[in-house]
Amino acid sequence: MIFMHPDPHQFIDDLLDDLRPTRPLTLQRGLVIASGSAAAAIAVMALFIGIRPALIAGSLDPLFLLASGLFLMLGIAASFTVIGMSRPQVGNTHIGWIWAVAMAALLPLTAVVLGFANQGDAYFHSQPVQGMNCLINGSMLGLIVGGALTIWLRRGAPTSPEQAGLLTGIAAGSLGIFAYSLHCPYDGIYHIGLWHSMTVVVSAIAGRVVVPALIRW
Amino acid sequence: MIADDATMARLMALSQTGDRQAYATLLAECQKWLQRFYARRIVRHQIDDLVQDTLLSLHRKLASYDPDRPFLPWLAAIARYRWVDHLRKVYRADETILEDGFSAENPEPAIAARISLDRMFSYLPPAQARAIELVKIQGLTIAEASHACGQSQSLVKVNIHRGLKKLAAMIEKE
Repeated sequence: MIFMHPDPHQFIDDLLDDLRPTRPLTLQRGLVIASGSAAAAIAVMALFIGIRPALIAGSLDPLFLLASGLFLMLGIAASFTVIGMSRPQVGNTHIGWIWAVAMAALLPLTAVVLGFANQGDAYFHSQPVQGMNCLINGSMLGLIVGGALTIWLRRGAPTSPEQAGLLTGIAAGSLGIFAYSLHCPYDGIYHIGLWHSMTVVVSAIAGRVVVPALIRW
Repeated sequence: MIADDATMARLMALSQTGDRQAYATLLAECQKWLQRFYARRIVRHQIDDLVQDTLLSLHRKLASYDPDRPFLPWLAAIARYRWVDHLRKVYRADETILEDGFSAENPEPAIAARISLDRMFSYLPPAQARAIELVKIQGLTIAEASHACGQSQSLVKVNIHRGLKKLAAMIEKE
């Protein structure tokens, strides 16, 4: 451990003595880690929970494809931003993820609008029992992605640890629920719009609260 | 004379491989660069501490530099983060003599202008910039700052709080 020193020469010597070869946090390495952890989440889901038979048989629901695609894209956009934030540079911008959030937000928004239009029985149609399973299992699978990105961030230098934590949570929740949606047999807009989206929201809050405390400068 | 961006990027890439000599040269250059970078934006007697603090962050975050990218914008992001962190901690400084500006003496004025602390300040509303300048940089009390800028004491506090929050959010902004 190196501390600041009244003698600047001694301080520099301490830094020199502590120098070790280090692998730069390149974009390519970050993307390999993010996609690797997402693949691990899918593998864990397939091994321990199982991919739904309809999917294996090739029976694909349009809403499933659309929703899964949105969560996947949101996860990719958030992961990409987290990787960028670990490598600070004046001139960087981290706003692309906002558009991905806006697009994914169409799912809960649609569920809410249709729910009101159908006299507020959206919750009943959302399969709440299975919904809790989606929330819990999606969040647990997201921990694999969130853990990998947090370890990456700890090596990096995010100048906004709070935003980096929020985005880590969004990436974890999106990719976690994407993995679990390969098992979840419910493709209704109420179920996806409420419970799958809630997984992202819960993970985002958890990331915002927990991750900044784990980042050390 | 401070080394240019390409030289410092080369030294950093070598340092990441564990080259002690390159690292010693790099640290010396960064030390000089940071002293100029922080001049006028922090009271003089605190510069050495802030420079050491920033070099320590550079050392700890060595891996976060990508050799394929320019070096100075990376160093400036680390330095800005440390500066904002410092401003948040400092409540009163007892010395107000400020030195000459960074960009005027820098060998790469175009880069310097984009990454400077003045650039960050320019994005703040004038009242917030003034309140931070008077209290956090020049070391006036809230009452003195209020008298100097004509804002009420509570407004000075609010402007400092909001201004620092904005600065923290624009560390990587060009």
